Amino acid sequence: MSEPNAKSVLTTPIFKNNPIALQILGICSALAVTSSMSVSLVMSLAVIFVTAFSNFFVSLIRHHIPSSIRIIVQMTIIASLVIVVDQILKAYAYEMSKQLSVFVGLIITNCIVMGRAEGFAMTNSPGMSLLDGIGNGIGYGFILMTVGFFRELFGSGTVFGLTVFETVSNGGWYLPNGLMLLPPSAFFIIGLIIWVLRAINPEQIEENEFEMKANSQPKEAV
Amino acid sequence: MAQSNNSIKKILTVAFALCIVCSIIVSTAAVALRSKQQLNQELDRKTNILKVADLYEPGDDVAEEFQKVTPKVVDLRTGEYTDEFDPSSYSGFEAARDPAQSRTLSGEKDIAGLSRQENYSTVYLVGDPQDPDQLIVPIRGQGLWGLMRGYLAVEGNGNTIVGITYYSHSETPGLGAKVDTTQWKSKWEGKKIYSESDDVEPDIELVKGGATKKTEVDALSGATLTSNGVTDMLEFWLGPEGFGPFLAKFRSGIDQEAVNTASADETEGV
Amino acid sequence: MGIRQTLDNLEPHFHKGGKYEQFYPLYEAVDTIFYTPPSVAKTTAHVRDGIDLKRIMITVWLCTFPAMFFGMWNAGWQANMAIADGFGAAGGWREAIIMTLAGGHDPGSLWSNFLLGATYFLPIYLVTFVVGGFWEVLFAIKRGHEVNEGFFVTSVLYALILPATIPLWQVALGITFGVVIGKEIFGGTGKNFLNPALTGRAFLYFAYPAQLSGDSVWVAADGYTGATALSTAFQSGMSSLTEKFSWWDAFLGFIPGSVGETSTLAILIGAAVLLWTKIASWRIMLGVFLGMVVTSGLFNLMGSDTNPMFAMPWYWHLVVGGFAFGMVFMATDPVSASMTQQGRLIFGALIGVMTVLIRVVNPAFPEGIMLAILFANLFAPLIDHFFVQANIKRRERRTGDPVGENA
Repeated sequence: MSEPNAKSVLTTPIFKNNPIALQILGICSALAVTSSMSVSLVMSLAVIFVTAFSNFFVSLIRHHIPSSIRIIVQMTIIASLVIVVDQILKAYAYEMSKQLSVFVGLIITNCIVMGRAEGFAMTNSPGMSLLDGIGNGIGYGFILMTVGFFRELFGSGTVFGLTVFETVSNGGWYLPNGLMLLPPSAFFIIGLIIWVLRAINPEQIEENEFEMKANSQPKEAV
Repeated sequence: MAQSNNSIKKILTVAFALCIVCSIIVSTAAVALRSKQQLNQELDRKTNILKVADLYEPGDDVAEEFQKVTPKVVDLRTGEYTDEFDPSSYSGFEAARDPAQSRTLSGEKDIAGLSRQENYSTVYLVGDPQDPDQLIVPIRGQGLWGLMRGYLAVEGNGNTIVGITYYSHSETPGLGAKVDTTQWKSKWEGKKIYSESDDVEPDIELVKGGATKKTEVDALSGATLTSNGVTDMLEFWLGPEGFGPFLAKFRSGIDQEAVNTASADETEGV
Repeated sequence: MGIRQTLDNLEPHFHKGGKYEQFYPLYEAVDTIFYTPPSVAKTTAHVRDGIDLKRIMITVWLCTFPAMFFGMWNAGWQANMAIADGFGAAGGWREAIIMTLAGGHDPGSLWSNFLLGATYFLPIYLVTFVVGGFWEVLFAIKRGHEVNEGFFVTSVLYALILPATIPLWQVALGITFGVVIGKEIFGGTGKNFLNPALTGRAFLYFAYPAQLSGDSVWVAADGYTGATALSTAFQSGMSSLTEKFSWWDAFLGFIPGSVGETSTLAILIGAAVLLWTKIASWRIMLGVFLGMVVTSGLFNLMGSDTNPMFAMPWYWHLVVGGFAFGMVFMATDPVSASMTQQGRLIFGALIGVMTVLIRVVNPAFPEGIMLAILFANLFAPLIDHFFVQANIKRRERRTGDPVGENA
């Protein structure tokens, strides 16, 4: 981390160090807003914007932030950015902001934003922090979009509102899976994404907290 | 540097400066965008009204279509129009929270689970306000998981239903949330609220296993409690506590003078 | 001993270096169905018992037979009664089989009823077995362990708690979810904290609520709608329930419902065997039963004007819905239930209480036993933890030494 280069700062958070899949941060909004892809996209963009600029501004004034009130300072910056985003959405994307309802406001409590401000922006240059914010936002957005894709496809038979599977109620063949429209389904999908990511990058697997006796191996049974 | 950063003076300066900057940014955004946001809200409400009246096609100019619609504030107790409030800004939903403009509903009367009801409500008249083609009334009530809010559009005779729409609800996806589907909403067209034109209590209800009468609509399959919620809120809002007296004026006939006296009698009778 | 010889001849191919090395789990599974595994305890330090996991599982499997066979008959009877009332038969290949083998839809004929039920249940069971077995074997091969016998029971339990008319692709999807998410993800049999059969059922319940609940799914006749006993009481109160079915109908199982759940009597026969062979824990069953009796008694006392379920007495709770089946076969699943003796009572009671709570108070779901058991599954380790800690403390007080330090 001592000498971050632009490319790695931007790309590691997407697969290698994904804020949701590895650090398990920001799960709550990933459950709430992923029932359709367009909503997930807007939410991802909002988070990318907030993480990027909160990182940038925190980093900009990092030499002047007294350590005793640094969390409050970060919070204030994040909160201001979130309110601005919320206002803009209400003005220019009213339908979206209605569907996102409180979850835009709740970006304030999204651990990813705070975590990056505290963990990265406080010790790095503004340019790097901006990239780091964008990278983490994209990492978050990647999971959101993937979850949103599966939930919308299997839950409503559509992708971005365009019909892919014609549903039974519209005279087609596809019976929508109601579970996919319920927030808990995002848990399963995120879990499966984590499974896939860790199968690809075995170093992400945590070490066992305890040793478990191995199952009897077929070789022993001879 | 760390030391000077933590002096009281520095802390106060940073905190103060930060607050000023952030509050300027936030309030600028809020003020600059407010008119646009209000326009959006207005547009959204109008779109919902046009949708229930079957006047809206995607891509239509909402403001232009809305020319056909006249909002009026109605005194729910008498069914008469009132000029006390500005129809374009008055909100019955908000008035219900103000003790001065609303009343508490006692247990038995509160079938829709509202606990408070406003005294005046906004209705929307489509076409000529003197002899409207359609009357659109706001309805709301408890569903299974929470408050459901929507509109009901009735033909000028005050009895035949044109359509129903829910713009805000939290029913179960796949079951109760079907209140929002065009397939189910299409079943409402042409249904009657009252089986006899001099009825005071509405007869419209959701029934399981196939509607047979003009006052029956197919219930949502697998969503008994949402269906009950819909029936209850219609019974409430179309009954004597809701828009019953207002609709009665239109049902009794074309002669407006006779209508007024008849409806006055009827309200007293209740 | 033809089978033994054949198996022995085949065996080397499946061992290390053999042709089919990676398919050893399959060989092992077949081998141990017929014979006791060769790896048995030989020294005195072990408890020796003729029974092993596979025998236990087969016993449980056999115990579901009364419920299964009665369920098939009942599914057919319900359908034939409806058809006799003028509803259309479902048609298709099922109709062809029935016409060939039974010659008609006669609700008075045992054979016709049974056959009709079987044409619905057997495909469900077959799909469950093939699809679930596929995942089971896939994971066994991938992870290099044996196919676990638990699936034998999971598959039959899962098939028995489905409505007869469920589309087969949903059966496949549900068992996939149950086996993969409910079990294999956590490491396979013995490491799952949820009952896999119920996990699969719960998945279907939330994914396709219209197919898994409601009025039209229970009887296999075209266009016929009839509520289950439980949803009748839920929607219109006890009096309309008793009008429709007598308690004896419900106890014996002449009511619509999931295939294996209708007959409390048939389930209790299975329960008797499970208790007699000490395979199932009587503490869990007792706990579930008492929890249900006490909670429903409390609701009876409280009473309610608006909610008819408050008035349902305990002996009705016992015979409607999946309560009996859940209590006997699902709650007693040794893997996902509590392990400590006292813990089992608490675990059972939690299920009983939650079942009645969900049935009575929750406005959305008429049935509660499935959710109650899954809920209690989550608490089983916690319950065990408290009892284990209490034991450790008690021993410490007695000997002044925590367990294991001296051993």
